Parts: sequence; C-alpha cells; structure tokens
Amino acid sequence: MDTRRAVFAAASVTACLVGVLAGRTAQAADPPPRRQSGIEVKNGQVTVSVGLQDLFGPAERQHLSSGFATRVLIRAAIQDESSGEPIALAVQRTEIVYDIWDERFEVRSTRGLGAEQRAVVPTADEAIWRATALVDFPLAEAKRLRPDGRYVVVLRGDLNPISEDLLVEVRRWLVQPARGERSLGAGDSFFGSFVSIFVNPRIEDSERQIRFVSQPFAPGSPTLPTPRSSPPRSKIGGIPR
Amino acid sequence: MIARAGARVLAVAMALGAALGSRAGATESAAGEPPSAATPNRGDRAEGDLGTDSDAASFPDARFGPRYLIEEVVIRGNRKTAKSLILGELAALGLAPGASVDASDPRVQAARYRLLALGFFLDVRLSLTRGAKRGGAILAVEVDERGTLVINELFPATSQATLFWGGADVSETNFLGRGINLGVGFVASTKPVVPDAHAGLGLRLRAGVPPLGGPNGLSLSLTGLFNDGSEFYRAAGDDGDPAPDDFVATRVRRAGGLLTVGKMLPAGLHASIGLREEEITATLPPLEARVLPGGGVVPIDFMIRGGASRVGTVSAGLDLDTRSDPILPRDGMRIALSVETGDEILGSSYGYLKGVLDASFYRKLPHGHALGFHVFAGAIGGDAPYFDRFFVGDLNLLLPRRALGINFSTQPSPNLFNTNIAHHRYDNYAGRLLVEYAVPIWRHHGLVYGGDAFVAVGLLGMASDGDLSAPGPVSARTLPIDVTGDLGLRLDTYVGVFTISVANALSRASF
Repeated sequence: MDTRRAVFAAASVTACLVGVLAGRTAQAADPPPRRQSGIEVKNGQVTVSVGLQDLFGPAERQHLSSGFATRVLIRAAIQDESSGEPIALAVQRTEIVYDIWDERFEVRSTRGLGAEQRAVVPTADEAIWRATALVDFPLAEAKRLRPDGRYVVVLRGDLNPISEDLLVEVRRWLVQPARGERSLGAGDSFFGSFVSIFVNPRIEDSERQIRFVSQPFAPGSPTLPTPRSSPPRSKIGGIPR
Repeated sequence: MIARAGARVLAVAMALGAALGSRAGATESAAGEPPSAATPNRGDRAEGDLGTDSDAASFPDARFGPRYLIEEVVIRGNRKTAKSLILGELAALGLAPGASVDASDPRVQAARYRLLALGFFLDVRLSLTRGAKRGGAILAVEVDERGTLVINELFPATSQATLFWGGADVSETNFLGRGINLGVGFVASTKPVVPDAHAGLGLRLRAGVPPLGGPNGLSLSLTGLFNDGSEFYRAAGDDGDPAPDDFVATRVRRAGGLLTVGKMLPAGLHASIGLREEEITATLPPLEARVLPGGGVVPIDFMIRGGASRVGTVSAGLDLDTRSDPILPRDGMRIALSVETGDEILGSSYGYLKGVLDASFYRKLPHGHALGFHVFAGAIGGDAPYFDRFFVGDLNLLLPRRALGINFSTQPSPNLFNTNIAHHRYDNYAGRLLVEYAVPIWRHHGLVYGGDAFVAVGLLGMASDGDLSAPGPVSARTLPIDVTGDLGLRLDTYVGVFTISVANALSRASF
C-alpha cells in the first residue's frame, strides 16, 4: 500500500511538471525570423529576390578555398499566411569549387529541373553571391494564388547538407560508442538509464543553415523593389558546358 | 499524374514547413493542384524526402572541378589521437598518397563523417594545398578533438533493505589516443539489514579495441568482473511485505570475464559472439527453509550452488538499429536478439539456454509527437544461476534495478492487479509490453538540443516452470502479471542525456 501511495504521489508531482512543460510545446521550435524580400509577379510567375549571403560565416568563407566542393541548397516555398497551407516549393542547388592551381572559383547551379549553369569567377564574394542571391527566383504561377489572399515565402538555405542516414549513423556512434559491448537484458532497456554524461556535439543535417520568412504579400500588389541584381564584381566569366 | 505531382509538392511543402517550425501542415486542398513550373521533379523520387538533403543538393553529373594527385596527407590538431588512426580511416576510403581525388569527390564528405563517427572529434575539416608539381596536392586533415570521457551510468539509490548503494560506470573512449575504449564500473553498498547479508561490491573493467580494418571490421572487447554481494530470499511473511527481517541472504562472489567479438553488418545490423567464464563462491544461510503464512514450511531455492561452482557460456547476439535518433527517436526500430548457453563443455556447473528479445518500434505522429512500442521477451531452459535469470526489478520500471548485477532491494512488484506477482523475484520466463507516447518540449534551445515529455504504460509478466503447471483452477489472480509505466522528461543536451521520471525517482528511493 505504501508503494502504491508513493507511486501516486510521485506520479502526481511529475505529471504536474510534465503538464506545465507540455504546455510549452507550441513554443518548442523557434519561429523563423522575418526578412524583407522582393516579391513580384513577372511573366505570370511569382518571383522572389532576396539574399542569403549570411549562410557563409568567416569559417565557411575561408573553407571555400579548401579545394573541395562547397554545396548550397536553397528551398523556398509559398504559404498561405493565415493557415500555413503550402502552395508551392522551388529549389536552387549550387556547387562551388576552388582550383588551387589556377586560383579561381568554378560555380555550377540549377533551379528545379532547369538547365545547369556554369561560371568561372575570380573571387569568393562573387562565388558566394552566385550561390546565395536569389534574383527573380520563380516560385509558382501567379494564377495559383487567390487574388484576395495573403501569403508569405518561407526560405531555408543549407550549406553542405548531409543525408539523413549518415546523420543518424554519426549520432548513433557519438551516443553509443560501445555498441555491442554490453550484454542484453531488460535492465539495459531504453527506460532504465538515468543519466549518461559525455561531450555531445550537435550534428545538424547541414554544416550551417538559415531559415526565415518574407513579409506577407498579396498577389495583386507587388511589395518591394528587388535587391541588387548584379554580382559584386563586374567581371563575370563563363565556361561552355 | 497531376494529382501525384501535386501530392509531391504538398509533401515537400509540409516537410519544409516542419523544417521551418511553421504552421504548415497537411491540407487536402493543395493535393489536387498542379505543380508549379518552378517545382523540381526528379523522376519518381518522393519530393518529400527533405531529410535526404545531400540527394536534394546533388547534381546528375557528380564530378565537378579539377582532379588532383595526392602527394602527401598531413594531420593537424591531433594532440591526443594517434595520426595512424586517422590515416587508416582515410586510407580505407582510398584517400592516400598516390591516389587521385576530385574537388567534388564524395569520399571527402564520407571521410569527414567517418572521422566524426569515431566520436573523438568535435569537428573535422579536409582541405587541399598545392603540391610540388602542377596537378599535385597535399591533403590536410584538421581535427578538433573532443572530451572522450563518458559517464554511462550513475547508481545512487536507497531501499528498505539497503540504506545506500552508489557507484558509476565510466568510459574513456579514446584511451592513449589509440581509439581504445576503456571502461570502469563500480558499485558499493552499506551492509543490508537482511540477516546474514554482506555489504555489496561490484567491479567491472572493460576494454575494447577499434574495429580491425575500419568501422565495418571485427571489434574485440574484454570485460573483467568481480562481484561480492548478497541476494535475498524470503524466509517468512507475506509475499507483498518487503520487511528485511523476513528474508535471509546468501553471500556470492563472482570473478570472471567476458570476451566479445562484434561486427557491423549492412543495413544497421550488428552481430556479436561472446565467451563468458566465471568462478562462483556461494555461502548459503543457515536457514534454508521458508515458513509460509499458513504455517507450512518449504525449502528455499537459492538458485545457486553452495561452495565453489563455475559458469561458462557462449552467446550470440544480433542488434538492428534503424531509429531516426538514438535519444529522441521518431521513427524506425531497434531489435536486439541474444542467445546464451551454459554447458559442461565450457566448464560450467550450470547447464542452461537463455534467449532474449528486446525490441522498440517508433511511429511518427503529427506535430512532432511519437508513439513507441517496446517489447521484451525472454526464456530460460535448464538450471541457470539466479543472476542470469530474469529479475523483477529489471522488468518493472517502478522497482530498483540491479546495479552491475547486484540486487539491493527486497521490494516486490507493486501488484496493482492483485495477482500473485509479488511472489516472483527471479524467474525463467519474462515478458513486458510497453506503449510510450512522446511529446516534444524543447528543440534547438542552446545547450539543450531537444527534450521530450513521455508517458509509458504497459504490462509485465514472470513465471517459472512450476508456475505453468500449478495445481488448482487458473484465474486472473493466479497470473503473475503487473502494470508498469513511467512518466517524465528525456533531455538531449551538450553534456549528455538525462531522464527525469517517476520511475527513476521510485526506483532510487524504494520503500
């Protein structure tokens, strides 16, 4: 009987604690910040113009000259502002490599199923601009949006994304370095352990990522002028495919 | 076709919405709409696979940029980790002097994460600098080492029978910088108040070498064990009464070791075989009979031979782990299966066969919630020593578990169904089924990466051969089953993993 009372008392206390914390579930994920973006209708397409250059911090910028490829994946989606209902998604993927002998950057990118564009540029700034500046980036046919509707564009940029399988495998090894070295028994179950203390670095699904949401817009009223539409350097090289 | 493509758009948008933490969710209204001209569509691959980001970011023509001849490999930042260990990992991928490497070579990323997966580094960076000849390059690997001391378990607890027991299980996963996993576990207790009992002491020394020939090679580990402690047997009183005075105690010393050979197989499967040898010295109490509440007297089965005996077993295990995350899983499964047998051929005084299945299955629910099903089933045939049998404290989350194989409590199962479960402490058959519901509380908040509130409830049952053929009518009350469960928080943080729960509190302060 004492045990039952103890179970009940402990359960009550913990239930209250869990209940209070569960009430915070809606706040569990940080809402993405808002970023002013140029949203227009051109040739029947809703387009967005915005820069994600801050995807590259000083370390990432330095690593751009490592000689190995840097990949950038940008995904942009239109959502209904009030309901969050997704309307369409568009993707741009870019790869940058630095030639350590010729000291130049080679950049290639595609938008959706579009043709691959290649360029050779002399500076890291220009390579980053080509990978992260969306200029009149088409999102969806304008006729798919309600004229009286209000929408936002949600954007996510990932630097060197990795596969989910690889991510899980790395996490597993970090958390369970001695897998298979312990005997099996109910005492080793998922519930039993109280604490495991170790340096547990966060492994993301990309090396760096930024997320933000545009200001709301209505299809009938374009919002902002597009940001700078030319790369930082005027010399734009190109190589034939 | 259009609906299918539209559904792909929807799936992608849903995943993106989830990734952005927005309110985007599944709505049927968008499913039938045609895809945008800007929407990517790469064959039949589901567009919702946003998790496989590397695929989404890949180009049809993987090769891009110049190709170099590796002239030399240099390692930087490895103050502790042996250079040969890192070079070996790179060489396993063909990244060695004399080999060619493309600027967009997928082996480079694979090497980075292979090195990270060793668990020795916070970060790994690969880069190229000019070599001696045009087209040649020096491959530089810069590592940032992490602390590799791991506290696997802490054992502080108290019970009615033992005022205090405590200890820890600690590992150094990169001993001497050679990737050797060296672990020490210990637990010690005050003298239990059960008659004839002795203070408990348990020690473990564990050493494991890195897989030979890379991550998929054979791994070897050796564990030495020493236990000197008491086990408690009811000599009087009702089955539900944990009063220590109603118990007698044996004193059992165990000394031996376990050699394990393991190997990673494809698709997340890990296989292992083991050999265990132990010398046992057991001192039985003067009183070897129990007085039943009705006045009868029955002999006590100590499940251990008095004096010297040996345990010798071989075992085999399979472990499949496809969970989406080892701490806060949302999808996938973990299934572990083991078989162990003791026989005279192995020098064992105890002949038995033991099989154990421990499985967890997870299903993702809307809003980041998850449903988990946990199944445990075990059976022993033959004459196993008590410490190899299934113990009620290991099965019921609300009771103290054994610490390094030593039990310190006389607490019976709470018996919430009013069955005869309180009679069962060590048995040859055991089963448990738990259903768990997890709700995300934190995500991406500084040093606390994630946290789940969870509630789990389930049934457990235990029995031995005699119970299955007991005389008299079978009724619900004769079934040795009980309810178990847990409620609490599970946190994934920069400094480790913590579980704060009702069961943890109860199992560590059991009265």
